[in-house]
Amino acid sequence: MFDQVLFFFNALLQQTGAANFTWGNLVMMIIGGTMIYLAIAKHYEPLLLIGIGFSCIVANVPGPPDVPGGPPVSALLYVVKEGGLFHYAYEGVAKLIIPPLIFLGVGAMTDFGPMIANPKLVILGAGAHLGIFVALILAKLVGFSISEAGAIGIIGGADGPMAIFVTVKLAPHLLGPVSVAAYSYMALMPMIQPPVMKLLTTPEERRIEMAQIRKVSKLEKIVFPAVIAVIVNLFFPPVAPLITMLMLGNLLKEVGVTERLAKTAAGPLMNIIIMILTVAIGSTMAADKFLTWDTILIVGLGLLAFLFGTASGVVTAKIMNLFLKDKINPLIGSAGIASVPIAARVSHIVANQANPHNHLIFHAMGPNLAGVFGTAISGGIMLALLGVQ
Amino acid sequence: MIPDTVYGAILLSIIDFFLSFVVISSIGFVLSLFPYLNRLGEIDEKKLKEGGH
Repeated sequence: MFDQVLFFFNALLQQTGAANFTWGNLVMMIIGGTMIYLAIAKHYEPLLLIGIGFSCIVANVPGPPDVPGGPPVSALLYVVKEGGLFHYAYEGVAKLIIPPLIFLGVGAMTDFGPMIANPKLVILGAGAHLGIFVALILAKLVGFSISEAGAIGIIGGADGPMAIFVTVKLAPHLLGPVSVAAYSYMALMPMIQPPVMKLLTTPEERRIEMAQIRKVSKLEKIVFPAVIAVIVNLFFPPVAPLITMLMLGNLLKEVGVTERLAKTAAGPLMNIIIMILTVAIGSTMAADKFLTWDTILIVGLGLLAFLFGTASGVVTAKIMNLFLKDKINPLIGSAGIASVPIAARVSHIVANQANPHNHLIFHAMGPNLAGVFGTAISGGIMLALLGVQ
Repeated sequence: MIPDTVYGAILLSIIDFFLSFVVISSIGFVLSLFPYLNRLGEIDEKKLKEGGH
């Protein structure tokens, strides 16, 4: 009788996740909790980190095995599989439906005026992407295939949707760690970038005040998305879906006659997409999938990509200063890494600390927006060179 | 097209980095021509919004 009770109790326990809880689950739960803490206490990108952190915690609650005696399945992976609650959220990312929709929303909320107003700063959008290639070469050196190395390198583009897009095309099995690394580092840029920026600039350089830039007309803002969409579709078809949607969103915003659509794309639609995206990303952070040597390498290489990208942006700005009559504040160089508008905000804050009268945000937005195109161009060239459509 | 070797990774990086500069500079050049658009006339933003939905 007692033996039977024990047997049934044990069978019941096996149906729950408690028996399959590992130290890895605990580590990942702490990581998820840290993300939520940083979002609440430090205000580091709460829109992203709350969802990712929460779903990371849930993903590490072990569920019952798929088959009797089989390995435990994390609770969130359980709902991600076909028929599960978040199945379509995950499929939306994996089938590349979500990234173009994010770009539609980003386009509808972005004023490209600073980029149009100061075209010479556009070059910083390429200069701040050295990190992509440093990470790519290092990833190859430590044993990843060249396609995997390309996906890892694109983390340095600091553009979440583009990182997802390129990774799905080049190395879909790395979608989890690459997207987590990209979004986590983007959220942590206020911690990652300033030490590099300060290391590479003198206090005098950080205090440089830049002249006010010209006002961009409505006509220019309306023509801009059409021109860019044509250029990108003509020369970079592999990444055209993203940039085309970015430009469509921006056109909806600028024409003035589609305010409802622009507001929907930038507001409710974007909010829904963010919830789906963060849950989908966090769901890939189950310990058994995430706590691997490869993931640790990817996260490390991603950090190096951000550091080198920040440094190369600042150095490019300093090189430009050798030739410019009106000097630019080299701190805006790091904004060329993309990650709109976080990187521009970091440039502004660091400059403001050196000179409280310095309001660099508008100037930094130019290279910051150019960085989006820089990442898309790098990703497009990479896909073309690797023969991926 | 690119060999799956360290040499291939370096080659890919050099070509991609260089071409990115060329392309983004070209976009910068196109943008530098944008002020000439204003010679075509001015858009009345108020009227534009009146036609909105």
